[in-house]
Amino acid sequence: MAFPQPPRGRYAHAPGPTFLAYSPNGQKLVTAGVDNFCRVFTTGSDDEPLNVDDCQENNLAVAAGNDFFITGAEDGTVNKYAMATSDGDGGDILWRSTLPIRDVALSPDGAWVAVASDELVVHVIHTKDIQMVKRLRDQNRSVRHVSFNKSGTQLAVSCVDGSLYIYSMDSEEPELVQKVDDMIKRTEPEAESSARVLWHPDGTAFATPTGLREMQVMSTGDWAKHKTFKTEHRADITAAAWSPNGALLVTTSNDLSICLWDAKTQKLLKKYDDVKATILAMAWHPTQNILSYTNNEGLLYMHTNFVPPELQHFLRLPLQAAPYFHNPSEGRGNSPTTNLVNGLKHVLPERRARAGSADSLDDLLGDEFRDDDLDMPDEADDGFVIDDDGAGYTNGLGKRTNGHLGPLESMSKRRPTAPVFQPQIHEPFQPGGTPWRGNRRLLCCTLLGYVSTISQEGTHYTAEVRFYNDREYTNVRFTDVFGYDKAALTEHGTLFSCQPKGSIPAMIYYRPHETWTTRADWRTNLPAGESVTAIALSHSYVVVTTSANYVRIYSLFGLPLRVFRQKASPVVTCAAWRDYVLTIGNGPVSGDGTSQLLYTIENVKRDEICQSEDIVALPPNTTLTSVFFSSDGDPYIYDSDGVLLTLLHWRTNGQARWVPMLDTKCLSRRAGGGKQESYWPVSVSQDANGKHVFHCMIVKGSEKYPTHPPPMLSEFALEIPLSSAIDKGRQEKEPDVDPMFDEEEESGKKPESKQQQHEQDYILSSVLHTQLSETISHTRPTTYQKQDLSNLDVQIDRSLLQLLALECLAGEDRGMKALELVTLMRNSNGKMLDLAGKVAERYNRDMLRDKIQELAERRLMSNEEEEDEL
Amino acid sequence: MALPLPPGLTPPEIAFICEMELVTIIPRQRLEGLELLGGPLKPLNPPQRASIPLWLALLLKRQRRANIVPPPWLSPDSLSAILKYETEIDAFSPPPRLPPLPSGTSLVFSPPFLPGSTADATADALPYHWLELGSMLLEAAPEDFDDANEVRKLLRGLREARMAKLRQGVEVLDAGGGVKMNGVGGMEVGEARTFITGVVDGLRKIGKSREEARKERDRENGYSPSQDFDDDEMDMR
Repeated sequence: MAFPQPPRGRYAHAPGPTFLAYSPNGQKLVTAGVDNFCRVFTTGSDDEPLNVDDCQENNLAVAAGNDFFITGAEDGTVNKYAMATSDGDGGDILWRSTLPIRDVALSPDGAWVAVASDELVVHVIHTKDIQMVKRLRDQNRSVRHVSFNKSGTQLAVSCVDGSLYIYSMDSEEPELVQKVDDMIKRTEPEAESSARVLWHPDGTAFATPTGLREMQVMSTGDWAKHKTFKTEHRADITAAAWSPNGALLVTTSNDLSICLWDAKTQKLLKKYDDVKATILAMAWHPTQNILSYTNNEGLLYMHTNFVPPELQHFLRLPLQAAPYFHNPSEGRGNSPTTNLVNGLKHVLPERRARAGSADSLDDLLGDEFRDDDLDMPDEADDGFVIDDDGAGYTNGLGKRTNGHLGPLESMSKRRPTAPVFQPQIHEPFQPGGTPWRGNRRLLCCTLLGYVSTISQEGTHYTAEVRFYNDREYTNVRFTDVFGYDKAALTEHGTLFSCQPKGSIPAMIYYRPHETWTTRADWRTNLPAGESVTAIALSHSYVVVTTSANYVRIYSLFGLPLRVFRQKASPVVTCAAWRDYVLTIGNGPVSGDGTSQLLYTIENVKRDEICQSEDIVALPPNTTLTSVFFSSDGDPYIYDSDGVLLTLLHWRTNGQARWVPMLDTKCLSRRAGGGKQESYWPVSVSQDANGKHVFHCMIVKGSEKYPTHPPPMLSEFALEIPLSSAIDKGRQEKEPDVDPMFDEEEESGKKPESKQQQHEQDYILSSVLHTQLSETISHTRPTTYQKQDLSNLDVQIDRSLLQLLALECLAGEDRGMKALELVTLMRNSNGKMLDLAGKVAERYNRDMLRDKIQELAERRLMSNEEEEDEL
Repeated sequence: MALPLPPGLTPPEIAFICEMELVTIIPRQRLEGLELLGGPLKPLNPPQRASIPLWLALLLKRQRRANIVPPPWLSPDSLSAILKYETEIDAFSPPPRLPPLPSGTSLVFSPPFLPGSTADATADALPYHWLELGSMLLEAAPEDFDDANEVRKLLRGLREARMAKLRQGVEVLDAGGGVKMNGVGGMEVGEARTFITGVVDGLRKIGKSREEARKERDRENGYSPSQDFDDDEMDMR
């Protein structure tokens, strides 16, 4: 290739602000300026451009599709012109605004055009049918820029008051996803400085120029600010662009320089100072090494070989990830399950990245004759895959990536081309741990406190253990060089683990809170190559599950007690309470293509298995969010549907059963339907009144994970889902119509809701009773537990008695049901049946009373018989 | 001479009464049960929520031994809903509904003994002590609110809207007139008391001379209701 020449300016328009756009296939370049014509340049040709006449004057924005382009003019019209003909097919007016148009953006599929004008509302118009208009109304001031992300699902709107609005365009009615206030600068509508949102080609992040003349990257996963390009521009940034593969960023400003940045390291690669006038618009050629820009003097520069030869390897990279501190989707996948394919494709030896063929045509002819340089009219037909939009079709060596290959099939060519069955496995997770949110992350939340970590510029971390009871325990904060990514917390100590890094193996670190000698914290390394998938800490054991499917159990002083291989694999998570250890792994694949989760509970001290490879009952398309032991020592799980379940009879082999204890979708606070929130489970314990409550953190909006500092714990009483939340909401709302008259209304509608309440009481106390009596029969019961058990007995009988009263009130014909209620009574204190008799008497149900008496006598007899036998 | 204090309760006195309200806290320290005059207090176990009187909650908060959970009606959402109601509808927003009376016991529930300000209170109604409780919580525990400034702004808006309504009610406060004061809070009654009694007194003073003149006439003519009525008619003309 020839020695790079300084770019030659081409007079595209009369002196004045000029803008440009490349067509998605890269063949055409459209410029628009103060003149009443637009020009269409053809890439790689020095011929005179095609003029499209009869345009509006003073065009301020242009966007191009493959065969048409759209301009926005100061007189408030948005026009669509055909690319090929010189009169542009006359130009269809797509939209007419009362105020000047500031920006137009075309969705990637070319179907929608977003129009920013000095009006407050952004209009999104269908390019084929101008009757179809979507309106985005959340802005408070006029709008400067609009930009679609690479998939067209989100639209970013930059407002002159310094706010960004991100809308979701998936639905019929666009929805505001996020408003970002502190990114861009307040500007005048006519200002040259840019506030444009530049979507990174990988689609998960965007960058904007800030008031400090920096380029700030923000992730759409957690809406947190990530890395910054600290540009040295001496004036406001006027334009910027990501290279098509996202590996390079180019910025320019009023100080007449262009800077080229490495996106990964945010380092300056090259600076061009030979700029004559302020550049207002800039665009990379979709495939070639050309950067085109237009300035405010009407000149167009097509800077071929913009990236110098020594840096061109950047352009050949496949699609690069956006520069994050930590990828927000790392740790816990944002998608609930991952393909087995993704997990295995780098492991299988025959699936490594394909090298370029030696002496291929491309190699012999050199770069300038690569396939993608040819302007092939229709690439799809000849079977060649060209990574022309940077979406990662090729691996940078001209070969396809392995993504299209099936997971475990043989290489036989004769396989039918039916869709390949791909089992989906559940990702491993640490209960209570969240993925990175910005540079912060919660490692574990318990009723005792929480463990969090903050990344300090990527070099080290600050780990922090905070207690809710900060008088009894002292909060701990220390500098962490290992990068602990999992933690567990009990009354005795904190357990941390970190992943292997290079030659350093994975490590476990236990740190007791207090001892009567000097504090004896210990660290243990795992064998090389083994990484930690989940850890758990109980009062007496440390449990570690690893990537090699081992379960390793240590004592609290670091003594290895057990090592065994888990039967269900790959491992998902684990939990521990006193001597019991619960491990969960992926089991066989069920009907919906996801693998079933299997759990095992064992008692380490007695070395016996309570439940072996039993199924974690999850409905289809639901994943496990957390698993924990309640403060009473019963296993609970929380799933992605927001249902809390407990395991009943879990100490008896084969008897275990999952019982829903709370459905957060049915909570009365959700009844109105207006609230969008999720609940991050923490624990289940008794509240001050002895009622069992679910402790959780409320996470507002569409976010699923709490951030550091975590919100205050909320308590919800357990409620077995019997009736839907809508019913309850109506009952609460109707009497509100006039609070003065609720007395009469109450008497009319009370029995039904009362009955539901008592039914709820009955079934909940029965479940808790079963749970507690199991615990008592397997452990040495404390007086508290015994007291609780008899309280629950009384509670069950009381709710039955109240149900009985309602039945008696309802009428004579409900006698059968009333008697059934009486037979269900436990009568632990011997008085309940007498009371039931009295209730029947009060409502003059003599028949019923006689039956109850009969029943009481029979019970008494059988009791005496039993005693005789003893 | 008259008492140096205006009639009724002074604002500090109302605030003092309000301190008996129960609020929900998340203790950050274990505390044994207390036998208080107002009733026994259960032991506090962090992070278990507990409902304790406001004065104790403020004390614990000041010593940083607890976090206060603001009642649901003190959230920006419900406050703005109530403010909307206040500005659009002429009456005061209704007070929270009374719980059904417990049958059999003689215990009567009234505001200080109702859980109107705990975490499980209703979100759509202002309890009796809303103004004083809200401002005390905002002063003592602004960091426990999601958006303390917004709440402060809304409380101020609510106060002004409701005071304006109360003052408007005064216009009909001539003899025989009345204002419906359902849902008016304790502090508002205290604040409005001096003004309203002043207005009523003033009206009475204005009407006094006429009243006396009429009485005079009555005495001269000998009292007769029918004549009196006629006289009034004459006056009107």
